[in-house]
Amino acid sequence: MLEIDGIAASYGNIQALRGVTLSVEEGGITCLLGPNGAGKTTLMMTIAGILKPRRGTISFLDRNITGMRPSGVVRRGIALVPENRLVFPHMNVHENLIAGAYLRLGKSKAQVRQDVDHVFARFPRLQERTKQLAGTLSGGEQQMLAVARALMARPRLLMMDEPSLGLAPLVVEEIFRIIRDLHADGTTIFLVEQNAHMALQVAHHFYLLEQGQVSFSGKPGQLSEHEVIQRAYLGKQQGRDQSATDRDQPDGTMLRSG
Amino acid sequence: MDDIYLVTVVSNIGMISFIALSAYLLLVVGEISFGQQAFFAVSAYGSGIATAMWGWPIWLGLLWGALLAGAAALVVAIPTVRLRGLYFSVATLAFAEMVRLIFEIFTYQVEIDGELVGPDGSDGFRDIRAIYDSNVSAFEYMLIIYGLLAVVLIGFLILERSRLGAIFRMIGEDPMLTEMQGLNVTVYKILAVVMAGVVAGIGGALYAHLATYVEPKIFNVMLGVHALAYGLIGGLGTAFGPLIGVAIDIGLLESIRAISGYRMIVFGGLVALLLIVRPRGLLDEAAVHWLRGRWRELRRATH
Repeated sequence: MLEIDGIAASYGNIQALRGVTLSVEEGGITCLLGPNGAGKTTLMMTIAGILKPRRGTISFLDRNITGMRPSGVVRRGIALVPENRLVFPHMNVHENLIAGAYLRLGKSKAQVRQDVDHVFARFPRLQERTKQLAGTLSGGEQQMLAVARALMARPRLLMMDEPSLGLAPLVVEEIFRIIRDLHADGTTIFLVEQNAHMALQVAHHFYLLEQGQVSFSGKPGQLSEHEVIQRAYLGKQQGRDQSATDRDQPDGTMLRSG
Repeated sequence: MDDIYLVTVVSNIGMISFIALSAYLLLVVGEISFGQQAFFAVSAYGSGIATAMWGWPIWLGLLWGALLAGAAALVVAIPTVRLRGLYFSVATLAFAEMVRLIFEIFTYQVEIDGELVGPDGSDGFRDIRAIYDSNVSAFEYMLIIYGLLAVVLIGFLILERSRLGAIFRMIGEDPMLTEMQGLNVTVYKILAVVMAGVVAGIGGALYAHLATYVEPKIFNVMLGVHALAYGLIGGLGTAFGPLIGVAIDIGLLESIRAISGYRMIVFGGLVALLLIVRPRGLLDEAAVHWLRGRWRELRRATH
């Protein structure tokens, strides 16, 4: 569904991505794990059109979307729940939801109203707070609102950047329950996480991103959770016992020694 | 009404309200403009030329001035709207100073009834006498000012409840997150700058005809700074905010003679204090939200 081929991108003079190649299968949950500074958020921002890649291509549903502006990417059906900048704080919950549906508000008001009801059925806690300013919600509620708003755009691909960041363990459980529910309802999900334990429980396929390159691609179970955690949290050097899929990756493996 | 001083003060509050609303609209989309006085000036000159030199009726002169200001705003918007924060502010300031300096050298005069009429560089533009020639009294003109202000204010209140108004607020809160909702932020910002230009223009045209005389130095940066401060004092949660700011400054500080000498000191202090205590003004978003909640309760209780 989403094909990323050899993407390189930089933040100012710092090269954050050095040729990342990966793909997201339709109907699945794909996770991207990696330590801080590996380039996960940069990759999300590049797909969303906020950063322009220096080289490489991004295609979505067989159409090239490289270098498209963010509003264009959203129109193609990709919604991003960004890290840390979740909601419009001075707008109430309902207004935040509607914000996600502006593209279709002119055409199908009734459908948008129906979607609001759907979203409220899924997130009853948001319904209780319809008129509350989004900035006064708890961290978990803001995360839910951000996910709910992204759903209002009826995306074909939902990208989430660290949805568990800074949330209490119980809230994290709830967020991941929501991710499972969304997937069960047919949403394709591309998830960036640091919480490898939770991510490996929901992922159908996962990638490890280390120092701007994909260093592992495979299914949960192909790499022990222990090793994933070591590499995803600590950026620990790869062990000798690499799985076969590891070597299939064009640019990830065997780059660092010692 | 014979208290001409009071009429003048009230008229001034009305005219300055337009430029305050103009700066407020840009504050809503998250931009600080130090240059709204430029659009005020363009319209003051443009409408004055239309009525005093070309003999247009007043209403057409006002319309022409406002449209001219909107066009000038479009010229400014296209190259500057991609600039953020300080860069946008500096660009608007530079443009406004450019406009002022152009009027310092702009001379365009024709002879009417044996007298030269029209802008004469730094000597200004005299005899914009349309309202006196058509026997509109100061009191009637005040009513015209407030009639137009009411129209613009109603426009703002409708905007606040509209989709466009919500998009403007979203851009003000987080342009990148707005873009991620599939909205082209650049286009909406250009629209906001043009709308703000037109609103400032209405004020400028009204001003030129009340004063009958305009000169470039009236439109210096202090006018724009005040326009900006009115929204910051009164609040950015509703269009009534900047009007409160104008009422406090011109209604109280400038017009009460005992304290008018200290106006700038008190005004500056007030801005500094509010920026610390209430960074988004007296009627900020939270206050407006609270008021709307109380209003809903009240209506429910009475029904």
